[in-house]
Amino acid sequence: MSMKVLGIVFSYADRENLRELTKIRTLSSVPFGGKYRIIDFILSNFVNSGIQEVSIITRNNYHSLIDHLGSGKEWDLTRKIGGLRILSPFSNPGGTDNGTYLGTIDALSKNMHSIKRSLAEYVVITGSSFICSIDYDEIIRSHIDRQADITAVYARQRPDFELPDGIPLLRMDDQERVNELCYFNDDCDPNTTTFSLGMFVLRKSLLESLVADSIAYGRYDFYRDIIQRLSNQLNIRGYEYRKNYFEISSVSGYMKENMRLLKEDVRRQTFEMPVYTKVKDSVPAQYGAGSKVSNSIISDGCRIEGTVINSILSRGVVVGKGAVVQNSIVMQNTEIMRNVSLNYVILDKDVIVRESRQLVGHETYPVVIEKKSII
Amino acid sequence: MSNAKKKEMIAMLLAGGQGSRLGILTNHVAKPAVPFGGKYRIIDFPISNCVNSGIDTIGVLTQYRPLELNAYIGNGQPWDLDRLFGGITILPPYMKAEAGEWYKGTANAIYQNIEYIEMSRPTYVLILSGDHIYKMNYKMMLDYHVQKGADCTIAVIDVPYEEASRFGVMNTDGTLKIYEFEEKPANPKSTLASMGVYIFNWEKLKAYLIADETDKKSENDFGKNIIPKMLEADEKMYAYEYKGYWKDVGTVESLWEANMDLLNPEVPIELNDPPWKIYSRNGFLPPQYIGENAVLKNSSISEGCNIDGTIENSIIFPGVTVQKGATVSNSIVMPGVTIGEGSVVAYTIIAADTVIGLNVKLGAGKETLPEGTHPDISVIGQNIIIADDTVIPAGAMVGESIAKKESE
Repeated sequence: MSMKVLGIVFSYADRENLRELTKIRTLSSVPFGGKYRIIDFILSNFVNSGIQEVSIITRNNYHSLIDHLGSGKEWDLTRKIGGLRILSPFSNPGGTDNGTYLGTIDALSKNMHSIKRSLAEYVVITGSSFICSIDYDEIIRSHIDRQADITAVYARQRPDFELPDGIPLLRMDDQERVNELCYFNDDCDPNTTTFSLGMFVLRKSLLESLVADSIAYGRYDFYRDIIQRLSNQLNIRGYEYRKNYFEISSVSGYMKENMRLLKEDVRRQTFEMPVYTKVKDSVPAQYGAGSKVSNSIISDGCRIEGTVINSILSRGVVVGKGAVVQNSIVMQNTEIMRNVSLNYVILDKDVIVRESRQLVGHETYPVVIEKKSII
Repeated sequence: MSNAKKKEMIAMLLAGGQGSRLGILTNHVAKPAVPFGGKYRIIDFPISNCVNSGIDTIGVLTQYRPLELNAYIGNGQPWDLDRLFGGITILPPYMKAEAGEWYKGTANAIYQNIEYIEMSRPTYVLILSGDHIYKMNYKMMLDYHVQKGADCTIAVIDVPYEEASRFGVMNTDGTLKIYEFEEKPANPKSTLASMGVYIFNWEKLKAYLIADETDKKSENDFGKNIIPKMLEADEKMYAYEYKGYWKDVGTVESLWEANMDLLNPEVPIELNDPPWKIYSRNGFLPPQYIGENAVLKNSSISEGCNIDGTIENSIIFPGVTVQKGATVSNSIVMPGVTIGEGSVVAYTIIAADTVIGLNVKLGAGKETLPEGTHPDISVIGQNIIIADDTVIPAGAMVGESIAKKESE
């Protein structure tokens, strides 16, 4: 990429109810697809598009994110020029500012000292609610070709995806010019099914002035106060993303979206470009003499003696003899002992399920077991 | 270099050998770069042992087909060897003022890199080779070396008497002081075989290397020249007895066996050992997908695989596809291989990126063999194509693609 580009990631989301899964971690560090976390897909998209400077805006619960990212070397983002920066909230002891953000614009404003220092010409802003495999280089080229002020990446609803409440929808004319933003189930034309993927491209200088103006008028929300309010004044263009996406905002959606990875075409689209993650140096997966595995994703370091069907296992999961794991998601280093039976269960990291326990959830309401629980 | 930090002990890893007994498996790579154990290469073992033993300065001496090895080692980051001081350095032969020459022997390779070693001003130098699978704490060996006040300590392993004549054998007194070294003796006096792991006091070794270089009759080899000369001069040389798993993987049979050992819970080599991990350069492949028709028994399968066939007693490396109805047993399948529908693979090593067509039979052999034996291991080379319906007998070595037979 000839242009210098800064990636900005919002590692959290307001529109999210992942219950126990985000109690102990921010949205972007939620595990997905076996060995990955949501942030891995976001950073890999940047790196695969030639973007080598990324700032991550954090708000709360970001401990696990920092732990996962380390110096950024696994994403090749340990750079002298650019590289990875984690922007944590800043609060002054004794000051009136307690370190929280009043909205996305406020978050950008409070981190402007860092954003301003970057020599990038363009910024790509993204949230953490969507996982996709996207080429930003192409989007920036289209942004320049169409002389857009802001390019908003959108997707169309696919048949098996129910629009979650509050998802921002974009209405566009036949030139993809955005003329209205509204929220699903709120104030929207029911025929609008094109929704924002939470990704925007604009010049960094424009972002800086839009943020400064908004703050001056006490306006804090990027969607409402920039995209919606300024849609008449600015040339805001939609860019349609046509490949597979995953949307993560509810537990049942999380389960469904993970399970879609068991389809070959979904896997192919998701991993067309390399997805980088923290290297754990786990041993290859070991399958014992009594194992039976069908239609499942299994990560390194797993040791399987029992049965695993239609499930996704992260690294270092142990499934004991006689155990049956079906339609479930099992996170890192969780141990399922002998003769356990699981169906529609999400087991977080470091859980131990003792011998012969049975846990049954439902597709629409999976059982979620918190990190480090012993059942 | 005055700004380098002094190191107590550095390691020199001899990785220049061709490993010709591995046949076509080393056509494209040096032996230490041969894949092993599902996601590793042989060289990951000595390098990880070093790092786990607290050694952070390693020189890797390369000569034969070094490109893949160089790329694999890179800046050493996978082994935590991207260091401000020390780290891992590839040391190929290079031109000197008057002339340049290849490494003539193991001792000559170290001799040619005296300057590299002196940069770290080490007290001790650990000499290793890249041909063995084992987990060993070299720090414990160094403690022993210091405690014995030795000039040279050689790690040994007690082997069965019948096998001793295949190794360099150390004859020791009751205190494990070595009084004699015999290379592959017909009638061994001891069963302590050299593991090819030496610790030397650097100043002492340096003097011997320089002297050996002036000896025109010398083959400049540690086993043949340096060790015997030091014994002759009555230097203090001790054997350090290692009790764990150790295997030379210099032949097709032993490479296959060592891989199979990983699947055998009776054999004491556990790689899933968090305090003593074997590090390797990882690819960027997604987790493996196991299909609806898969049957997996006692096997090790790596990232990026797509398995819909039957896998038994086998080691499957990253990015391998095994299609529906294919059966792989007692085999080693290296990275990126595809095995087509209906193919049967038994007692075979398939090298990287090779495509096996449909209904191919690899390692086909006599149905009845004496108990306790197995068919000869067949080897299929790297990056070739074996056409549909091909039959390859047990023990064959196939280095080039086999095209489809014209219709009969």
